[in-house]
Amino acid sequence: MKQLTSFKFMKPLRLLFETCLLLSLWGCAQAPFSNPRSASFFDGLDPQGPAAEWRAINRLSYGPTPELLANMQSVGRPKVWALQQLDAARQASLQPPQLPADMASINDGLPAIFDGARKEREARAAVPAGTRINDLVANEKRFNFQAQVEPLYYNRTQVNKAVAWRLASCSNDAIEQPLLARMTEFWFNHFNVYQLKGTVRPFAGHYAINVARAHALGKFEDLVLASAKHPAMLYYLDQWLSVSPQPARAGQSPRGLNENYARELMELHTLGVHGGYTQDDVRELARVLTGWTVSARSPEGFQFVMRQHASGPKVIMGQSISSSVQSLGVKEGEQAIRFLANHPATAQRISRRLAEYFVSDDPPQVLIDSMATVFLASSGDIYQVMKVMLNHAAFWDSANKLYRTPFDFACASLRVLNAGEDRSKWLQAFAYSAVAGQGIQNWQTPDGYAFNATTWLTPEALTRRIDFALNVARNGTERKDLYAYLSRSTLHAIAQQAPAQRMGFVLGSAELVFK
Amino acid sequence: MKPSRRQVILQTLSMGAFPLVGLNAIADVANPRGRVVLVFLRGAYDGLSMLVPYGDAHYAQLRPNISIAKPNGTKASVLPLDDTFGLHPACAALLPLWQQGILAAIPCAGSPDRTRSHFDAQYHWETGKPGLSSPSAGWLNVLSGLVGQGTGLHAMGVGERSPRILSGPSPVQLVGNGVLATRAGTLAEVKTREAMQQLYAADSKLGSAMMEGAANRMSTAAMLKSSNMTSSNEQQAANNGASSAQGLALDAKHLGMLMSQNKDLRLGFLSSGGWDTHINQGNVTGLLANNLTSLANTLRQLRSAFNEPDDVVLVASEFGRTCAENGTRGTDHGHGNVMWLMGNAVQGGQWHGRWDGLSHDKLNEGRDLPVHHDFRAVFAQALSRSLGLPQGVIAKVFPGYRWDSALDGLFKA
Repeated sequence: MKQLTSFKFMKPLRLLFETCLLLSLWGCAQAPFSNPRSASFFDGLDPQGPAAEWRAINRLSYGPTPELLANMQSVGRPKVWALQQLDAARQASLQPPQLPADMASINDGLPAIFDGARKEREARAAVPAGTRINDLVANEKRFNFQAQVEPLYYNRTQVNKAVAWRLASCSNDAIEQPLLARMTEFWFNHFNVYQLKGTVRPFAGHYAINVARAHALGKFEDLVLASAKHPAMLYYLDQWLSVSPQPARAGQSPRGLNENYARELMELHTLGVHGGYTQDDVRELARVLTGWTVSARSPEGFQFVMRQHASGPKVIMGQSISSSVQSLGVKEGEQAIRFLANHPATAQRISRRLAEYFVSDDPPQVLIDSMATVFLASSGDIYQVMKVMLNHAAFWDSANKLYRTPFDFACASLRVLNAGEDRSKWLQAFAYSAVAGQGIQNWQTPDGYAFNATTWLTPEALTRRIDFALNVARNGTERKDLYAYLSRSTLHAIAQQAPAQRMGFVLGSAELVFK
Repeated sequence: MKPSRRQVILQTLSMGAFPLVGLNAIADVANPRGRVVLVFLRGAYDGLSMLVPYGDAHYAQLRPNISIAKPNGTKASVLPLDDTFGLHPACAALLPLWQQGILAAIPCAGSPDRTRSHFDAQYHWETGKPGLSSPSAGWLNVLSGLVGQGTGLHAMGVGERSPRILSGPSPVQLVGNGVLATRAGTLAEVKTREAMQQLYAADSKLGSAMMEGAANRMSTAAMLKSSNMTSSNEQQAANNGASSAQGLALDAKHLGMLMSQNKDLRLGFLSSGGWDTHINQGNVTGLLANNLTSLANTLRQLRSAFNEPDDVVLVASEFGRTCAENGTRGTDHGHGNVMWLMGNAVQGGQWHGRWDGLSHDKLNEGRDLPVHHDFRAVFAQALSRSLGLPQGVIAKVFPGYRWDSALDGLFKA
């Protein structure tokens, strides 16, 4: 790895040194050298060579397909290519995704998805007592989707399609812009929903596309709002049931506040646990959000129900939330969310998490601060924040290593094997990710999956990864275009293998288990 | 000095800086006696539904829809333990253990930190450092180093994704969830191992991690295969690689088998999710009742493997849930919670520590069980009894904890 990712700091260092000489100021030599990676210092950063190329393609896509690698090589300058990818990802995010036709129903209108779920309920209720539902429908092969969806299995099919789309989009650049696939993973995970929670099931794919993907490089507050109003999130964290405390009416049970969503909105989605809020703030925010619930009829899948809304003034973190105009009750929640989304603690937290995903398990504070500054100055423009990161020396510094998570490794394998539409390979990738503990869209709690090596690099898990690599790559076509990026030692070991075995060892190499 | 294989692996595994100071200096732990197994319920289980305070008039008032009926002799009511507490009927399998005097509860235990964040609280429990969120090794990992005086393998967890509590400088063995544990994998072939060693020739950390993992998986698979103990029903329950409340019993069975065959393993860790019951948690039946049945089966499973004189099994969760039900027939995040201890040395058949009841003025912030007993003090009692750890050594596991003499009756004299 070392020789691969060695990055030359020589040029800028010399530049600085000369500047110091010119200025011959007493403070100059000290301050920048003690903190040699500050953003301004590296303006004009232009890393070159295989290490920078390998880093860019493996971190900004899930890995090198032959076409993408050739594309990057034709650009020649990895940072220029990286910024091009960022622009392309933003452009792509503004368009609907290229869904394979047999998965298109995950992006149906929300009323149609509610309808599918309702029909499944009705179909199941109509099944005669004592019948095993599984006996009624031929078990559909995962990732082979029929044109006609069996109503009894609507929800499950939606889940399988959503997972298939994630695999298709992470591995196939004709289906998805490669950096946008990564951003979608990042935001889905940040605003995690558990797709196997009963009511969430049919919506998980729609949520990934219309929340995580659509706002991936837009304004952060729009992303939080989209997530807050989506049925998947409303169901997942129980917000749809949270209402102003009210006595039981005849034949109904009493209902009231549920703090679940309000708490995670502050703790996980925005401020972070040390972001300065209290239990009282959680409760106030829960009151602000009362009446936010699902709608099976509206195109947004969301409605605000005024009679379930807690009236009266509310204060969150010292901010008074206006509630004077009764008909504008939904604005209270929107105001609160915009306040939280643009809070300095949120800027720090989002910047840190992006840097952890793209740069290092323990990213330098100077990078985070640069990103957070732009986050606040741009009202949370994620595109601008990403740009700071790609322009920062820390992104290109070989000391900042990242170990691939199981999902990351599964996607990288599909790309390196150029699996394209080979869905049997998708199935293998899916199964590996699941047994390794990172089932796709399958994390039960709202914190999302961890991305760090402490969690994923254990001896047993490494052997599980090697099992998958050797199996999925058996008889794979050799990728000689990758060999320029592998260390001499890795190449030597690969060369010992029969050609039909080589791709397994390419996948298992240090160069690909890390990124 | 050439770094040991262990140190090399550690550098791979630990991204943060872990304190290594003094781990090898402990000679007091020469003769560990028993074994300690922790079952951790992620998501904050509702302890008041397992150890039900049916004798407190506030209980039914606070929970109009989700309380368990007072004992009436039917399976739809509390199984009384005394005039104050009873067991959830889904835990009927635990009643004999209570009656035999090997199962005990502490109703108001927990972390002194007030956080209601699952993730922060779990971090505190797993590092043994309430209130601190800086990078730190897990306390079972630190303890493993103390037990072995810095050498050998002494701790085992189920699930290959490393939990914080086992992460750190000392070696631990992780086995796959469910049937995954029974498969040795491609590296069981010596030719493949050699080829992979060659592949990692320039990266000794990956190379030694790979060899360690291969060795662990081969021995695990061999041990479990030889006992031929996994039924197809259990496979069904736990074949998705993720630990669920339902899969816990099978994981417990594997842990018991493996720790029984390798007596060097003194520390075991199991966990499951699915306990965060904000809506419709049910009462006698339902979501939570199903989880409790599974937990009871898990404890029975552990009892059959960990029944030597000084073995202790503990059950805990990051915090408790609100005493009152919320607006959606569930419970929200609370503070104190019920911890359980099981073992021949446990002064069982009774509950321990302070219990002031559920009246409003006795609750934490008027809504949760208070924490009368620091979780570290509970663990300290167990480590002292089971492993024979002196208090000075326990202070290395839980820096700044205080011995709680109110819990001195937790174990038999």
